Amino acid sequence: MIPVAMIGLVMIHTVAIRMVTIRAVLTFALALQTISPDATQHWNAARHAEEQKQFALAVSEYRKVTELEPAFAAGFVSLGQAFMEQRDYASALVPLRRALELDSGLLPAHQLLGYALLAQGYAAEAVPHLDRAHEQGALGIAQVETGQFAEAIQNLQAELQKRPNDPDLLYYLGRASGLLSKQSVDTLLAAYPDSARAHQSMAENYFVLRQMAEAEKEYEQALTLRSDIPDLRLELGQVFAMTSRWPQAEEQFRAEVKLQPGNAEAAYRLGDALLQQGKAHEARAELERSNKLQPQMPETLYALGKAAAIDGDDSTAEKSWTSLLTVEKDTPLAAQAHFSLASLYRKQGKTAEAAAHMHEFQRLQK
Amino acid sequence: MLGRFLQSVCTVAVAMVAAAASSGPPQFDVTTPRGIDFTLQNSPTSQKYLIETMPGGVALLDYNNDGLLDIFVVNGGHIGSPMTSPETFDRHDPRYWNRLYRQNRDGTFTDVTEQAGLANAGDGNYGMGVAVGDYDNDGYPDLYVTSYGRNILYHNNGNGTFTDVTAKAGVAGGWSVSAGFFDYDNDGKLDLFVTRYMEWDAQHSKDCGGNFHTYCPPGEFPRTTNILYHNRGDGTFEDVSQRSGIAAKKGHGLGVAFADYDGDGLTDIYVANDGMQQYLFHNNGNGTFTEVAMEAGAALNVDGGPLSGMGVVFQDYDNDGLPDVIVTTLPRQTYAVFHNEGHGAFTDRGLQTGVTMLSGVTAGWGVGLEDFDNDGQKDLFVAQGHVLDNVEKIDPSLHYLEPPLLALNHGDRFEPADPGTHAVWAARGAAFGDLNNDGSVDVVTTVLGGPVQVFMNRGGGGHWLTITLRGTRSNRDGLGARVQVNGQTRFATTAGSYESANDKRLHFGLGPAKTAKIEVLWPSGTHQVLNDVPANQFLEIREPERP
Repeated sequence: MIPVAMIGLVMIHTVAIRMVTIRAVLTFALALQTISPDATQHWNAARHAEEQKQFALAVSEYRKVTELEPAFAAGFVSLGQAFMEQRDYASALVPLRRALELDSGLLPAHQLLGYALLAQGYAAEAVPHLDRAHEQGALGIAQVETGQFAEAIQNLQAELQKRPNDPDLLYYLGRASGLLSKQSVDTLLAAYPDSARAHQSMAENYFVLRQMAEAEKEYEQALTLRSDIPDLRLELGQVFAMTSRWPQAEEQFRAEVKLQPGNAEAAYRLGDALLQQGKAHEARAELERSNKLQPQMPETLYALGKAAAIDGDDSTAEKSWTSLLTVEKDTPLAAQAHFSLASLYRKQGKTAEAAAHMHEFQRLQK
Repeated sequence: MLGRFLQSVCTVAVAMVAAAASSGPPQFDVTTPRGIDFTLQNSPTSQKYLIETMPGGVALLDYNNDGLLDIFVVNGGHIGSPMTSPETFDRHDPRYWNRLYRQNRDGTFTDVTEQAGLANAGDGNYGMGVAVGDYDNDGYPDLYVTSYGRNILYHNNGNGTFTDVTAKAGVAGGWSVSAGFFDYDNDGKLDLFVTRYMEWDAQHSKDCGGNFHTYCPPGEFPRTTNILYHNRGDGTFEDVSQRSGIAAKKGHGLGVAFADYDGDGLTDIYVANDGMQQYLFHNNGNGTFTEVAMEAGAALNVDGGPLSGMGVVFQDYDNDGLPDVIVTTLPRQTYAVFHNEGHGAFTDRGLQTGVTMLSGVTAGWGVGLEDFDNDGQKDLFVAQGHVLDNVEKIDPSLHYLEPPLLALNHGDRFEPADPGTHAVWAARGAAFGDLNNDGSVDVVTTVLGGPVQVFMNRGGGGHWLTITLRGTRSNRDGLGARVQVNGQTRFATTAGSYESANDKRLHFGLGPAKTAKIEVLWPSGTHQVLNDVPANQFLEIREPERP
């Protein structure tokens, strides 16, 4: 479940943005309707109190407006909004619902009621109101809560178009995607528990939990059922790599490369497995192939430099690591490249170059 | 400054033992020999005090000069949970004594701890490691035992007993881990280097690990300095840590090993630090040292990462005449193989040697480079077991108990071999030597909460030669000498591994060769050459008394 506090944070943020809009809509509504002078006086007093952030007073004044004008829907909306400004979402529900009884098409009422319901955990009830108000961000969050993950992802992505890199939206999008993935996997496991994909899925879970023996077993079963699934051997190879069984990893990566000769990652993994076994010359060939398939991948360039250095080709090593430094500047991999270049130059007796790269390495370590 | 060449003089052939010429893999019988009833009491508590993970050392020495190696093991002690202040560790209880086992002629052992005067390990001392060296050149090996508490120097009286001379010698130190005797100024008297881990006591202990109580990494505690004691030659030592520059570098020191890596005739020091860069102290020849590991390329792994250095060996694995360094570490780091390129530079050859592949998911402690199959190539043995006794909860792909690693050297590349057991332990100390004088190097390891394990090597079949150095102008045991036999090189030392001390004799596998050419470069600078020395013998080489 999403922590209520987190929803609250999103609500506050979003409501603050919306208030100005709602206020404008309601002012317009008021202009179109005739209310008594007494009610107008209280309305204006309430507005002033809100501007002064005296929300308790605003609530009191709006309440008087609704008492004097019980059919004035905008008055109830404003009362609900004043409650929400005090973060009293429970009290906001009654006037907002009353507003919608008076005017079911009043969008600000739907908007605020949706937020108020969601803030209190009534996500299912909030959904239709937020949908009606076209509040896609909040709607997406409510749909995460109600298990409508696919719809949630769609709405959150749409809202992210308007507010790119909003951390709350990104968080919920990530969560919705993860839950949708889990839902799909649960469906797969329930419907086809003995399928290759089910075993693959279980293997992936075990891998994340670092339960390598179980992961290996599941991958093997998946392969027995369908040996042609792309990435299966790539993943099994990584199980072997994690447990330092490099010959077995090499075997799997080699099979994956045969299955997917155009897959740069498979070529990289095979190259790395060969390198870990000290087969530098063979490793170089695969790493160079990977670099051609997907040029300028930092990991590939770093490993290629290592393989070349061990293979006695200092020139290629230097070129690979230098190339890496054009792609990455301040990352751990960049630090490793500086360290490797320093070692290379030291071996070649180029003390000034070695010192310069060691200086950069040490700077990045800090 | 090489001395003159001396041909085959002053040598004494002590024994001749027949051996088959064909070389094959070594066969180990892993047992606890009759008479050894030691259990290493590390006393783990729920408080997760770091010291619980660290004991204990083991030494192979011939304390009574009867020609048979004896075994000394360091015990931890009882730890209260929580520790009381002051904590005695119950070292008066025989369960927590250090032990000396004298080897009998039939291969069994007799516990001589009490009669040797070694039963008292000192109140407040939780045992760690041991160093062996004849610091007073009287022909009998002395013992230096490190502890959480204070260290103890036991002088070997030559009559089967030892005397605690710590106070007179001035070498109590503070909490220390590994130690080793060496002669840094080539004055013929053994000096003493002591590693120290961190600033820590029970009051400042921490518990790390989130959901699981576990031991903290060293970075949680302040670094500290190592200690260098200079031997004055009158039974006392002077702490020269500051003056020598050793104390200028703080670290998390665990293992220590010695060799002359740059061929200047002076013994240098390598310290395995935990969770940081390693230290290589270059001997400047004027009583000072300069830490040069970073510029020498022996501080970090091949990717520039820090190492959880625990054990270390400083010997020449590829027979190029230059001492290399192997450092044992935690899983996911792989053991570092710092190959000596000459001119004071090292490169990590873990990948090329196959050691990376063998150490991806293991934690190594005691370590040795010995020619177990007598084929002329030094092989690798590592005592293994993770630091964390609940590591499986944190990472199920790792294990607290691990098998030992035996890797045979097939010409610059190490390949895994059968160590003679499928058992798994939390092993720590490891010492190397020929226990039964059959020409094959044996191994003794300590195990947390368990008995001593003896790996009796039934031999690989090749010829061999075992040399005892008898210094005259150099220190009596010739520690620091460079000995070359048929193109192989060993640096005479009892130090290295983790918290442990090895047989002072230098063992060489000769493969099919029936004779050997021996060259000794003594610490005094004398260069001695012996030609056509028959294989399969224990040979004492006496240093010429006049240059």
